[in-house]
Amino acid sequence: MNAQYALLAPEITLAVVGLVIFSVGLLIPKGSRQGMVPLTVLGILVTMAVAGAQFFSNVNGSFLDGMYLADNYASFFKLLFLAAALLVVLSSTEYVQKLPAHRGEFYGLILFAALGMMVMAGSGDLITLYVGLELMTISFYVLVAYLSEDGKSGEAGLKYLILGAVSSAVLLYGVSFLYGLTGSTVITEIAAKLGSGMSPATILALLLVLAGFSFKISLIPFHMWAPDIYEGAPVPITAYLAVASKAAGFAALVRVMLVGLKAQALDGNVAVALAVLIGLTMIAGNLMAIPQKNFKRMMAYSSISQAGYIAVGLLAGTPDGVKGVLFYSMIYVFANMGAFTVATVVSTAQGSDEIKDFAGLARRSPLAAVVMTVSLLSMAGIPPLAGFVGKFYLFKALLDQGWVPLVFIAFVMSMVSVYYYLLVTRTMYMEEGADLPKIGVSGATKFTLLVTMLVTLFLGIYPSPLAKMATIAAASLFR
Amino acid sequence: MLNNFGAIGILLIFAIALPVILVTVPKLLAPRKYSKEKGTVYECGMETRGETWVQFKTNYFLYALVFVAFDVETVFLYPWAVQFRKLGTFAFIEMFIFIAILLVGFWYAWKEGALEWK
Amino acid sequence: MNFSLTVGLPHYLLVGAMLFCFGLYGVFSKKNAIAVLMSLELMLNAVNINLIAFNRFLWNNPVEGTKHLLLNGHVSAIFVIVVAAAEVAVGLALVISIYRSRLSANVDELDWLKW
Repeated sequence: MNAQYALLAPEITLAVVGLVIFSVGLLIPKGSRQGMVPLTVLGILVTMAVAGAQFFSNVNGSFLDGMYLADNYASFFKLLFLAAALLVVLSSTEYVQKLPAHRGEFYGLILFAALGMMVMAGSGDLITLYVGLELMTISFYVLVAYLSEDGKSGEAGLKYLILGAVSSAVLLYGVSFLYGLTGSTVITEIAAKLGSGMSPATILALLLVLAGFSFKISLIPFHMWAPDIYEGAPVPITAYLAVASKAAGFAALVRVMLVGLKAQALDGNVAVALAVLIGLTMIAGNLMAIPQKNFKRMMAYSSISQAGYIAVGLLAGTPDGVKGVLFYSMIYVFANMGAFTVATVVSTAQGSDEIKDFAGLARRSPLAAVVMTVSLLSMAGIPPLAGFVGKFYLFKALLDQGWVPLVFIAFVMSMVSVYYYLLVTRTMYMEEGADLPKIGVSGATKFTLLVTMLVTLFLGIYPSPLAKMATIAAASLFR
Repeated sequence: MLNNFGAIGILLIFAIALPVILVTVPKLLAPRKYSKEKGTVYECGMETRGETWVQFKTNYFLYALVFVAFDVETVFLYPWAVQFRKLGTFAFIEMFIFIAILLVGFWYAWKEGALEWK
Repeated sequence: MNFSLTVGLPHYLLVGAMLFCFGLYGVFSKKNAIAVLMSLELMLNAVNINLIAFNRFLWNNPVEGTKHLLLNGHVSAIFVIVVAAAEVAVGLALVISIYRSRLSANVDELDWLKW
């Protein structure tokens, strides 16, 4: 009994840290809430150590008859979520100082959102998955609406809540049919009971589940929420939403689709439908990003197209494809966090996040401009940056499965994305921005910028450590 | 099965018929005389003043929110209580942890003034 | 189809599907944010009806070696109820906070962002 609970060590640690952060926020009198950041960072680092220990000592166990799994796949994603949370906390210290009230809870909510994502990655049971999903999204509803003075933020929060709740309800409705068909909510048992059967009810359940998840990862017909919510939310939270919440959606979706419903999801017609959606996502995401004037809206469309690239690995359905998903999600964390940290710096200094506000950033803050350029080019997939390697793994896995037209679309659209990423770079380097202030970055923000840039460069030149980790993690999914 | 639902059907018919009869019979038989007093709102006690469509303080809603959250969380106590003896000490400790987490939430609501009347 | 008066699984599933569709319609057609949240509850309750009906009619099996019944569906429904309550509590809190700044609870007037 006790040995089993050791499998939950990362989750328990993070839950305790989150509760402690909340309690500390209450105990310290208002106005003098210092020391929250070091405490949060320490808590995340400890949890990372625990999750890392599980990954590197190859802990692969299941808990409560397969309802909860602690395998390398889950551990890999846990490290990803914690890295994202860490970068968000570090990059938002100055931003949070400007908030009028409730600064302490900001960090607590970030931790609870990360906890929800970890539960999602580890759950082998659909109801556990749902609880983790809701823990994550409810934390996000509050975080998105955090700027209580700013009407846009509250509005974005309510919109996200309504659409998020609808998508969860759709997902659950699908889950209820899966339960009706198999008498179980455990993913492996569902796979065993369904076999390769393909009844209309199975297809209905599959489509409902797919629709519910597509919302979370913003696949095309369910993407409308992303630009609005990204624009309204506080900048660090937009980054967290784009990176971690999307990765969590993929973590759960890949497990459900490739372990539970593989025979159904990757069968002829459903796979073709999925491929069409992915193709549309890449095309529309990239094309709609081009005319955007607001940086966060542009990044929203960019993140929609990125979801298309990552979903390519899911469609491949092989260990190689999952490896691509894992690898790309991880480097996407660093590339996106780099870009958004720069956006946070600019929006803290200038109170706005239009693309024209970045004018002359190369002169005003060279480091920020360089980090932004590296991050954007990595997302566009320019060698020798990490994004190139990630896209290579993904497209290669898909090509092995014979989806040549889709790979072609993905490739062309990556080229298109270079255009709008370079527009931002051009604004930073070519335009004057004479009347805009000089921006100094310091402390935690500088650290975040350097870390994200170095990781992106390093993994582009020498990807094998992360690639090896991703291979191990992907293998544990298919055991 | 059919008989049981037949009984429900008969009950339904009576349940619908009775109010209809009770409303129509006075309509047919009773004399109709209007007066000012009859036209006023039926209410005992003081006479009403002002609009009926008033705004409640938002504090009511805060109370309601805190109530809804904690009220529903206690649902988990029922299955545990039913099987209390079988589940043993471990579940007992687990339930204490659960309640402790709820109490942190309650403490938070209290400290942040959700329960105060401003 | 057999039109006897016996109430079976299809009837429950029909009620569930109707509730789900009403809820979905309500979410996208209602103006008042509170009504939208109520429609959301309808959708989640449709899920609960499904879960419990499936458990009762199809998977009412005893746990191996005991006389206790497997109650997966019921337990799932409890989790759905609790999580839905938490979600709606946050939703109402957001509605209150928006109401305070704009003195309106109509979704139509949430037009500061584009969608």
